[in-house]
Formats: sequence, C-alpha cells, structure tokens
Amino acid sequence: MTATLSVQSTAAMSHNWRIGFRQTVAMSKRSVLALWRQPALVVPSMIFPLFFAALGTSSFGRAINLPGFPKVDSFLDFSLAGTIVQGVLFGSVQSGSALATDIENGFFYRLMAAPSSRLGILVGRLAGAAAYGAFQTLFFSLLLLPFGMSIKGGPLGVLIMVISGGLIAIAISGFMAAAALKTGSSEAVQGIFPLVFIMLFFSSAFFPRQTMSGAYKHIADFNPISHLIEGMRDICIDGLSSGAIARAILVPIAIMIVSFTLALRALAQRIAAQ
Amino acid sequence: MSTTSPSEFAGTTMRSASALSTRALRNTRRMPSTFLPTLAMPIFQSIAFAGTFFAITKVPGFPTDRSINWYMPLAVCMGAAFGGVGLGFSAIKDMENGFFDRLRMAPTPRRSLIIGPLISCYIRTLVVVTVVLLVSICFGARPTSGVVGLAMLYIAALGLSTVSAGWGLGIAFRFRDMRGAAIMQLTLFLTMFLSSAQTPLNVMTGWLHTVARYNPATNILRLSRQGFLGDVTWDGVWGGLVALVGLSVLTLWFARRGLDSLDR
Amino acid sequence: MTSPIIATGLARYFGSKDEPIKAVDGVDLEVKEGEIFGFLGPNGAGKSTTVRMLTTLLRPSAGQAFVAGYDIVKDADKVRRSIGVALQDAAIDPLMTGNELLELQAVLYGIPANQMKKRADELLERVGLTAAADRRVGTYSGGMRRRLDLALSLIHQPTVLFLDEPTTGLDPMSRLTLWEEVKRLNSEGTTVLLTTQYLEEADQLADRIAIIDHGKIVCEGTPRDLKAQVGAPTLLITVATHLSDTATQVLKEFGDMRPTAEGTLGVGLNAGVEAVTDVVRRLDEAGIRVQHLELNEPSLDDVFAEATGYRLEGAKQ
Repeated sequence: MTATLSVQSTAAMSHNWRIGFRQTVAMSKRSVLALWRQPALVVPSMIFPLFFAALGTSSFGRAINLPGFPKVDSFLDFSLAGTIVQGVLFGSVQSGSALATDIENGFFYRLMAAPSSRLGILVGRLAGAAAYGAFQTLFFSLLLLPFGMSIKGGPLGVLIMVISGGLIAIAISGFMAAAALKTGSSEAVQGIFPLVFIMLFFSSAFFPRQTMSGAYKHIADFNPISHLIEGMRDICIDGLSSGAIARAILVPIAIMIVSFTLALRALAQRIAAQ
Repeated sequence: MSTTSPSEFAGTTMRSASALSTRALRNTRRMPSTFLPTLAMPIFQSIAFAGTFFAITKVPGFPTDRSINWYMPLAVCMGAAFGGVGLGFSAIKDMENGFFDRLRMAPTPRRSLIIGPLISCYIRTLVVVTVVLLVSICFGARPTSGVVGLAMLYIAALGLSTVSAGWGLGIAFRFRDMRGAAIMQLTLFLTMFLSSAQTPLNVMTGWLHTVARYNPATNILRLSRQGFLGDVTWDGVWGGLVALVGLSVLTLWFARRGLDSLDR
Repeated sequence: MTSPIIATGLARYFGSKDEPIKAVDGVDLEVKEGEIFGFLGPNGAGKSTTVRMLTTLLRPSAGQAFVAGYDIVKDADKVRRSIGVALQDAAIDPLMTGNELLELQAVLYGIPANQMKKRADELLERVGLTAAADRRVGTYSGGMRRRLDLALSLIHQPTVLFLDEPTTGLDPMSRLTLWEEVKRLNSEGTTVLLTTQYLEEADQLADRIAIIDHGKIVCEGTPRDLKAQVGAPTLLITVATHLSDTATQVLKEFGDMRPTAEGTLGVGLNAGVEAVTDVVRRLDEAGIRVQHLELNEPSLDDVFAEATGYRLEGAKQ
C-alpha cells in the first residue's frame, strides 16, 4: 500500500516536473517572440551599442598607445565587451518592463490563476532574457569581426563569451524583474534606465580603469559592471586563461544569485499580496 | 477696419510672444519633471565623460590637459540642443489636447507662436549653462580666456537651442504626434555625436573624421570650447557663428512653414 | 448688411489627390444675423471639418466662405478678430489657472492691458467661475471647463460665436446652465453656430438647423418646418422577434418604415393618427400579438432619421 502510494507520488512528481518544465519553456518562448515581434523594443538595444562602438573606435583610435591602455591592435578589441554588456543592459530593461506590462494589463494574474508553475513565470522570463543576451553576444562578436577586430580567445573564447552574455542577461534581468514585480509599473522599470546608464558610464565600459584617476577610478573599481565586462574583455584581448574564464563566468553567476533571490522574494510578495 | 502699421504688428508679436513664454516658464515651474532631466543630463555628461575619458588628453595633439575643459562645453551644447527640441515636445502635447487650435485661432501674428516658446527656451538654457558651468568648475574645469571665452559658451548654447527649437517645432508641426518626438531626438543625437564631440579632428581617425569635418556641429562645438582651450581666436569663432546663423535661419523657416502647413 | 456666415460650395478633401476622401463635399450655408443655427450630423459626417474651415483652422479645398463679412482665406486675421470659438472637448492647458488662461487669451486677442482684468472678472462672474479663478484648470469639472471655454471665447466680444458640441459629456444640470447662457448671449445680439449631437439641444436653442451627412447638407430649415415635412406621426410597435418580418409586411401597407432602435418597428402613418386601430386589427388578423405600442408626433429625431437613416444616441426613441 505504502509502496504503491510512493510509486504513484513519484510518478506524479515527475509528471508535475515535466509540466512545469514545459510551461517554463512556453513562457521563455513567449518572451523571446515578444521581442522578435516588436522591433521597436529590440532595435535600440542592437543599434546604440554598435553606434557607440563605431564612434569610439574612430574617436579614440589613437588612445590605444596611451600608458595604461591594454595591448590591443584595434580599439574595437577593447570595446567589444563593453558593447555587449551595454546591449544586454538595454535589453534587460526592456524585458523587465515587459514583465511589468504583463502585471499592468492583468496577463500576469491570468497566468497565476492558471494551474501553472508560478516559478515558471519568472524563470521563463529570465530564460528568454538569457537567450537574447547570448544572441546579442554572438551577433556583436561576428558583426565587428570584419572591421578589424580580433578575438584572441578564438572560437572557444566566443563560446565562453556567449555563455557569459547569457549569464549577464540573467543577472541584470533579475534586478529588472525584481523591480517589475515590486512596483508593477513599466514606467517605474523604464525609470531605472537612466540609473543603468549612469552605472555604465562610471565603469570601465568605454575606457580602461587603468587610465582613470582619483575618485572616478575608485567608483569604477567598485562598480560591478566593470567586473562583468572585464572577464569577457580579457578573453577577447588576451586569449583564454583560467583566470579570464573564471571571471567571465563566476562574476555574472555571483550577481545572478543576488538578483534572482531579490526577484524570487518580490514574486513571493506579489503572490502573497494577491 | 484700419490696417496695422509694421511697428504695431511687431508690438503685437512681442506682446503675444511674451505672454506665451510666461506660460511656458510657469508650466516649467509647475511641472519640474519636464525640465530636471535637461538640467541633470548635461551635469552627468560633463562629469562622466571627463572621468571616463580622463586619459584621452594625453594623446599627442590634444588641445588641453583637463578632460573636463573638453567635455563640459559638449555637455552644455547637448543640454541646450535637447532643451530646444523640448519645445517640439510641448507643441505636440498642445496639439494632442487641442490647446494649439486655440492659439492658432487667435488674431495674433503666427510667428509669435514660435517666438514665445523660444524666449522661454532661452531662459531655461541660460539656467542650464550657468549651473553646468558652476558644477564643472567644482569638478576641475578652468576657463582659459576670461569673460570673452565664457560668452562664447553662452552664445553657442543659445544659438544651438535656436537651431534645435526650430528643428523640433518643424518636426512637431509635421508629425503632430509623439512619433515626431523620437525623430527629433534621434536626429539631434546623431548630429551632435558625429562631430568633434568626443575628440578633436586631429585626434580622430577614419570615417568619423570625414563626417565630422563637414558637420556644422563641429564648428559650433569649436566655438563653445573657445574659452576653455586657450585664447579666443577669430579662426575658432567665425565658423561656429556662421553655422549657427545659417542653421537658425533654415530651421526657423522650416518651423514657420510647418506652422502654416497645419491649416493646409 | 450681409449675413454673418455664408458658405458656398465649401469643400475639404483629405488623403491623396487621386482618391481624395471628401470630408466636406460642397456645403452651402447661410446663417442670418442674430440667429442660433444648429448644425447637426452623425459622427464623421463633416460637422467639425466645416467648423474648422469657418474658424480659419483649416483651409478649404474648394468653395468660399465669408464669416462676419470677411473671406476666411484671404482675410483670416479679420475673421479671427470677429469670432469666438468654444472648441470640442474644451481644449485647455490643465496646468494653467482660469485667470491665467483668460489673461493669455486677452493678450492674444489684443485687449489693452488696462482693460484685461475688468474684462476677465466680468466674464468669470458671468459663467459663475469667480471662486475657481485661481485654481488650476486640471482640477475643474467637465461643466466648469466648458463654462471657462465659453468665457475665453467671449474675451473680445465677438459678433459670431461657434460652439462645437458644447455640452457633449455634461450632466443635465450643467447642460441647462450652458443653454441658458447661450440664449442670453443670443438675446444680446450674438449670432451663434452650434454643432451638436443632441437633437433636444437643437430643438431647444436653434432658430434654424441644417443636417449634414457624408459631407453634404441633406436638409435645412426651421425645426417646425422640418418636422412638418416629415409629416406623418410615427407608430412604434414591439412584437415577438420571430414575427417581426411578417409584422413589417403588414405595417408597410400603412406607410414607409422608419429607422428605429433594435427590437422595435417604426412606421410613418400616412393616414395620420386615425390609422392606429386599423394597424392593430390587421396585425391581429395576421396572428401577431402586439407587446408594446407607442405613438409619436414627428420630432427632430424623425427629421434626422429620415435625412440620414440613423437615429442619434441619446435622443428620445
């Protein structure tokens, strides 16, 4: 008797797990499709980083010989990682505000009312963001190659960068999702954009930390965005090393743990408040 | 009915324009959220660019060794330009709620509907330039040629806000909804950055050099930086003045034509 | 003295040159001095476009119009000095106060500075907004906004007043107040052109009305004449749904069918009120039981329905 029960419940559990997984996949598919169908949301997060990369390369091309600047053949080698993270940041704000829109127009509550996995709502959203972040990484890497950029890490390096890009997207989208779940207002999430922009500028996204000075350098040293960028940058300009790989993977994971916890708590609060 | 003399006509224009600019300034005070970004953005840009690209001044041929001296005028010009297109935003809002119809029905010279907001824009620009200048001085900016140099910064900012106000209003009158807002911001952003915004012509390389050399924004930025890179020279001034006057005439004409197109 | 509003062949096309959309397609109008003229029509019929042309906001594609004796294209500025316009939805900047708006309007209309205050106070008094004059318009109720809008349109003592749907969305009390004010202005000599969706409003206020449909004037005259033209009273009958086709056949013997609200049949009784008993008898013979019966003397609503084929929402049915 007990044996059958436990067999049944194990089967039920695996059944539940499969349904939960399928729901999560469906949710992430939805979030990716939403981006695909609304080019107005995607285009800025693809075009602006490229514009800044092109502008920077022409403006600061001669800066690569400055003392403190890493040894590179082209400014593009240096700017690739910054370009990628910039794109991922812009994309994450969009994905967070899409979640908030779901809450605003009530779609979120329909999902909650359905017998679906509630975690799936969040995980699906983040998985969608990861897929987009990985795509952006690959897209920027390949697109800039013909313009004199070289990636020292080679194809394997690109693969690790793509993984890193996906992880960074989850890490940042986690914060945005937390904000969306907390406020339920897409306007509030969009309002974070200037903050993200400021964080980006007070980091090593556009210029090496080694060339900065004073308080500004200290801020950039402590700015997590600097560290998100630099693992990837090392792979691009120095090639594969265990240190670079660890930085490119572990830093996003560490931030991801923090942001995912925040998002989970915000989700629990929203469910409880319902 | 007696015909109005030209001086009377000008008097009516100015009376209406000043009433409209009073309205715009009062609305700015009542809804500061529309103005604060145009003030905060250039302060941020001045500090952030100067900090991030701190070392760029060490590139041979860079005209100053203080990065904030280079980037502060850029920030001021961007702020003035975005303040100018802000008039386009307000016009779109007025058109969307119908208030602009009321203004267009008034028997006052049409040009006062452009001049009025423009005056309010000048006053906001003066505030922006002064605040950004003072904050930047706290962060290490140092004028190099006294009052004349500072005057060049103010002239560039006021001129640029005229140009972008004309552009913003012209686009607003043609699109009449928020699509216009995206267009005016994007074009302005591109024009300002595809110039000597980040580095001087002699430092930049490749395609940007070609574009920036012919972009009038380069001349205007050169004018704005006159008081921060050394002495004010006629060579550094005249190109910017010509660009400002030429572009102002063009964009104000564009705005005036757009205003007329509303009843066509 | 020519009439304050004269339009001949006034037309406005939108869209491409090859396939223009004719929003207004040759309108002839004459509004006489001291009249209240009601301009009616379904949504999108060309009412507002016509008013926008007459108030110099939009240039005509063809035709001519004179307002207060001036050509609306060549002498737009003089037209503007002579007319007051209260716009649809009372377009007012919500951040400004009533006083500030009046002051701005006074400047734009060239009122000398030393008269502005007096004039504004009079108008505020007149529309009952003295107490609210220093509040931001954003805090006003719908009725207050319309009244302020009316005050604004009167700042330069215009001889011709255009009111574009002045009471749409107002509660019955506010509507009555506004009607009183319009009547008072008219009795002081102001010519009024009023567009409205409410037939009762036109019936109450207008000396003459014109109905526009698909960009053309389809009928024009005094409310009394127009009602007389429709002539026959309308008999409204409700029968069980499945019998309505049969009933229609029967009713057609007594006159033309008239548009009605869904679920009700309407017929114009050519033989007058006396025919009612015959109608009921014939329906009975056809095995149709009448669930509800109502007899209406011709109203503006009938005029409107006959002219356009619609009944207006909010009208008596």
